[in-house]
Amino acid sequence: MKNTEQLLDLQAYVDGELTEERRRQVEAALPADLDAQELVTGLRQLGGLIRAHEPVATVPASREFYWSQIRRQIEAEQPKAPAASAALGWLRWLIPAMGVAAVAVVVSTRPVPREITLAGGGDVTDVDVSSTVFRSESDGVTVHWIQ
Amino acid sequence: MASMGKLQLFLNNRRTLPSMPVSVKHDYPSEADETLVKWAQQGDTEAFEQLVFRHRDKIYARGLMMMRNEDQAMEYSQEAWVKAWQRLVQFQGESSFATWVTRIVINLCLDQLRRQKRVRTESIEAMDEESGGVERQLPATETNPTAGLEQDELRRRIDEAMGKLTDAHRTVVVLHEFEGLEYKEIAQRVGISIGTVMSRLFYARRRLAFLLQSLKRERSE
Repeated sequence: MKNTEQLLDLQAYVDGELTEERRRQVEAALPADLDAQELVTGLRQLGGLIRAHEPVATVPASREFYWSQIRRQIEAEQPKAPAASAALGWLRWLIPAMGVAAVAVVVSTRPVPREITLAGGGDVTDVDVSSTVFRSESDGVTVHWIQ
Repeated sequence: MASMGKLQLFLNNRRTLPSMPVSVKHDYPSEADETLVKWAQQGDTEAFEQLVFRHRDKIYARGLMMMRNEDQAMEYSQEAWVKAWQRLVQFQGESSFATWVTRIVINLCLDQLRRQKRVRTESIEAMDEESGGVERQLPATETNPTAGLEQDELRRRIDEAMGKLTDAHRTVVVLHEFEGLEYKEIAQRVGISIGTVMSRLFYARRRLAFLLQSLKRERSE
């Protein structure tokens, strides 16, 4: 019976992993060691058998399906160009800013009433007044801005 | 998928379109891997698709061998192809293309096995218990323990026996016997010592020998 070190040494011999010196020592001892010979033969046969009959498998999907999933992943993981990202970053701020500016232009050029009624019931006329009304239906708020 | 490539053939009118290139259709299926890789490296997805088609079973089989799970084998084999495409410029042809992609799928599987703690945390004691102790040698080997079996049947039985190994044992067998890696390379990839590689390989082989002999006994009964 061999100890662990001897067994692993013989395996390393079969696998071609021993140093040249150690390999020569093992080869010199083998003819007189039947157990070692048996182990070496067994390991070689087993290795040959396994390598010659490597299990095979077939992808359980059609070529088109298999490839389409790969292609989709490739497209999804394409890195975005930094320049494009930067441009998009600016656009993210620019578009709302342009919207606000457009509203401001419309408001400033809109005709405004020249006459308003005060809470006390009196009228104010011939006063240089302008007003802006903002109404948000969703918030239920109406804001009158009077200048 | 048509067997011929879809590159457009520009049959130009040289009088009116002198600068338009005349390209030829690529017959992808008849091209060697090296040529397809070169085209794919230039962005030709059809060349890459041909490579996928050509080697997909091998890559899937390796994933299945490592994970023993069809869904995971499918997932990691596809992920390996995606990574192969992304790293294609790094492929310099030191190994065959199929070997290169196989290594990618193996690395993905190893990562997953590590995450699931399926390759590193199995203790030597647990392995000893499972395999009966290292002091036992390989079972007495017959000249051919599987003599008389058809090749396909033998392949199936070996696959079955591989499936009965622990992940840790099976991994070293796959890397050594099928990928041809040396102990040192296996140790680096799996993240274990060379001594552990050697003992796992020995246990795995002994277990496989035992399983293959069992199947012969089953067959003769």
